[in-house]
Parts: sequence; C-alpha cells; structure tokens
Amino acid sequence: MQGMTNAIIRAEWFKLFRQSRTWYALGALLLLQVVLLLNAWYQGGSILDMLLDNLKQSFHFQGELLNGHLLVYIVLNTMWFHLPLILMIVVSGMLTTEAETGTLRTVMMTGISKRRYIASKFRVAISFTALTVVLVALTSGSLSYLFFGTGDLFVFHGALNFFESPDAFFRLGMAFIAGIFSMVFFSVSSLLLAVIFRETVKTWIVAAFFLIVSNLLLQMQIGQGWTRKLFFANLNDTWQLFFEYHINWAEIGVSLLILTIYIAAIVVAGIWWFDKKDIA
Amino acid sequence: MNISAREIQKTYGKTTVLNQVSITCQAGEVVGLLGLNGAGKSTLFKILMGLVSPDHGEVVTSNPHKKQLGGIIEKPALYEYLNARDNLRIFAEIQGAASDSEALNAGLRRVGLDVHREDKVGNYSMGMKQRLAIAIALLNDPPFLVLDEPFSGLDPMGVIRLRNLILELAKEKGIGVLVSSHLVDEMIRTCDRIYVINRGEIIREDSPRVLVDQATRSYVLTGESLDQSEVLKGSGAHFQGNSARITDPHPNIGALLKELGAEGTTLYSCVPETDIKMLLHAGND
Repeated sequence: MQGMTNAIIRAEWFKLFRQSRTWYALGALLLLQVVLLLNAWYQGGSILDMLLDNLKQSFHFQGELLNGHLLVYIVLNTMWFHLPLILMIVVSGMLTTEAETGTLRTVMMTGISKRRYIASKFRVAISFTALTVVLVALTSGSLSYLFFGTGDLFVFHGALNFFESPDAFFRLGMAFIAGIFSMVFFSVSSLLLAVIFRETVKTWIVAAFFLIVSNLLLQMQIGQGWTRKLFFANLNDTWQLFFEYHINWAEIGVSLLILTIYIAAIVVAGIWWFDKKDIA
Repeated sequence: MNISAREIQKTYGKTTVLNQVSITCQAGEVVGLLGLNGAGKSTLFKILMGLVSPDHGEVVTSNPHKKQLGGIIEKPALYEYLNARDNLRIFAEIQGAASDSEALNAGLRRVGLDVHREDKVGNYSMGMKQRLAIAIALLNDPPFLVLDEPFSGLDPMGVIRLRNLILELAKEKGIGVLVSSHLVDEMIRTCDRIYVINRGEIIREDSPRVLVDQATRSYVLTGESLDQSEVLKGSGAHFQGNSARITDPHPNIGALLKELGAEGTTLYSCVPETDIKMLLHAGND
C-alpha cells in the first residue's frame, strides 16, 4: 500500500513539473525579486537617506543600510500576498485542471482509493510549498548579497529595530522557516477550495478573496487573549515576530503549533470532502 | 463470469436520471446501451465504474478481480502535455501495473499505437486518443471494459478501427465490453446484444437483427445502372447517381435483393439507414 502511495506521489511531482504553469509561477517569483532589487538599486538609496538622515547623525551604522539583508527582508514581505497567491494558483490547479480535463475521472477509474489519491496531492502540495519558500530564500539571498553585500538590518516592527549583520542573517532565515507554515496554510486552503469547487477560475477567485480577507482580518487583530492567539488570521504573521528586538520563542512556537493544527484540520476536511463527493 | 447492474436508481434533485435500471454483460460479449443524449447512459456507466453512487441498487460481479472494470467515460481524458508513453506509465504506476519499457510497448502495440512516437498527446487525433485511453483502461487486465460514446468525434476510418479493436478484445481476449452510443448503425455492427434506454429506463433488450428490422427507415442500394432496373422502379425507389434509396418503411429487403439478382442488376452494397427514434417509439407502444 505504501508503495502505491509513493507511486502516486511520484506521479504528482512528475505532472507538476511537466506543466508550464508551474515554471511560469516559479519564473514570476524570480522576476518579482529582480524587479524589487532593481527598484532598490535605483531608488532605495535616496529614500533611505531621506528616512534615516536624522538617525545617522546620532547612531553609527555598520556598512550600507541599503544592503542584502534589507532586500531579503523586502522579498520576505512578499509572503503577505504575492507568494501565497502564486502558490494557491499552482496548488489548486493540481486538482482543478484534472477535474476540468476529465483526467481525474480517468485516474479514479483505475481503481485507486480516493482518499489515498487526494492525500497524496496534499502531501505534494505541502512539500512543493516548502520547497518554493526555500527557493525564494535562496534566490533572494544570492541576488541580494551578491549585488548589495551585507550590513546592519533595520526594520520597523512596532518600533524601529536594528540588528547586526550575523543576527540579521539568523533572523531572516528563521523568518523564512516560520513563513513556510503560513504559506502551507494558504496552499492547503486552496486545495480544499479546489476539492469543493472543482473549477479553476472559480477556485482562483475564492482563493484570492480568502487571501485578501485573511490579510484584512490580520490587520484588524480580532479577538482578545487566547481567542486572539487562536484565530487563524492572526497566526499568519508569526514570521514577523523574528523582527522584534527580543525573540519570543514561546509565542512563536505556540503560534506555529496552532497553525499546524489548522493545516491538519484543512487536510482532513479536504480528504473527507473529496471522498464523499461523486466524480462527475 | 459476468457483471451486472441491478435495479439502479439515481436522482439529481427532482430529476430521476435512472429508474430501476438492470443490465448484464458476460465475458467475451459486446453489449450495447443505445439511447439519445441525456437518456442516462453516462450516469449508468459512471455508477458501474464507481465514480457515482446510486441511490438504490447495486453493481455485482460474479468473479472478483483486482481491477474489475476499465473504461472511458464521455471522452478520452488524458494528460495532453505528456506523450503517450508517459501517460501510460503514470496510469500504470499509480495502479501498481507493470510500467517497464517492455510492458508499455506491449500496451501501446495492443491498441495499434506507434511505440516510437514521442510528441504530446495533445497533437493526437481523437481516434488515437481513444486507443490510448483504451490501453490505459486495459492496464491490470480487467475482465470488463466500459466505453461511453466511443465513436463520437471519430472519422469513418477511426470508427472502423475502433470497432475492430472492440471486437478483437471481446472475441480474442474474452473481455466483456459495454458500449454506449446514440448511433444505431454502429451499435448494430458492433454489439451482440443491445439495451435501449430512454429517459432513464431500459425500454427494450434485443439482438442487433431485431433492431435493424425495427429501426430501419430506408435502405440505400449502390450498384450499376440502378435507374434502369424494373424491380426498383416498381418498389418506389428514389434514384441519385449510382444509388437508390428505398423509403418503404418495411420492405422485404431479402426478397427484393433476390429479384434484383434474378434481373441481372449488379449491386455493390445495401446499407440500412436507421433512426433511433423509431426504436424509442416502438418501445413505448
């Protein structure tokens, strides 16, 4: 049985990377980083000088402030909208395309278990999402450090925080790791939406709407105390906690654990729904 | 060995799509399901394939097999961005069938596809897609095959090739084949036994010979100098070029052909022109 599951997972990876859509998505993410770097190249220096002119008179900064760390942090901020949107498009397409072209029907006529098939898709979606975030981290780091070098990182998160270069490198790395959880949350949500709607465009619209509403709810910070901590929308900026002056590991750990429970619940709901519904 | 659907009932909302439908197919038999679009053919086949759950009734097989049924529903659905070999390999792997090069070549040859062709399936004709879909359906050697509207979208040569393939699978490999279509002519030429379905109900089950008698609206004869034939002139035939159409709804075609032979008229063919609606009306009567 495990051998058959592995075969399905291998087939999913094979199909995913044989579709031009996947390569367009990865290309778009790379291009986005290049555009951000070019923008920083042409405009970043002057904007930073304007913003930090007064601070520079009072503090000593190590290296250029427009450096690779800052640019990686800017790329990291694509996790608010750009990255999850692209991931949702690719991941939901893993099912909606098959449903629309009828290949889902052909697959289901081979006699394989519906549960095993959709569970394999969720596993591939999670792995693909994690790999994409790692890829973004690697490409943004490579390009940013190559062209802009390193130096102190300053970010505004509640207050203006400065981190020395080695500390900044560590925090950015950890933020990407924490960001994987948020991206996986949106990916599996889009696959659940694909299970429900089975149509590409409808799923994209609902997924984009879900992403926008999640961001709005995050800004609103709904709830008090534990309810605030438990509300899914408030968990998706956990990666930002690495840019507070003191890293609150306990809070980050709890947030990521709750997010993991949400992810597991979404996967279980997706498998249950897919198993229950007829294949048209 | 046989497969049966017994008293299948399926309703969508207030619409009854299938009402107490029962059909059966033996190993090596080609069984047809003839009906207009929307009669319930695809739904019945989806239920047979386990894609859709019936509200009532059951699908029963006399001799359980690892994979009881292979099939194509509505159209051959393939990964168009992959070549034929990769399509076959993917479907083989996910169901635990042999997927080595030798097995894949054998699968492609079985349905008459070129094993050396490497371009995407998206470039294939509908007939070739049908053949590849059948190769996929035959993975793991199911004893029964379900083909929903397999002749739709095929050119005349494609229809002939597919029909020959179906007959070869049934008569030489002993596979029971269930075929649905709204094309009476093709069903008569292909099937051993035919169910007629109308508005979700099986209204008759007959041999092709009986259906030819009841569904034929006219016969088209082709031959030499047919317009000179006194026999045909007496039968009220309409002439056009080398052909003559006899529109008498119940001609004794056997006797007519004998008379033409005795007259010395050279005939090349005699083709019945059928109309499915005549079967539906006959069934309702």
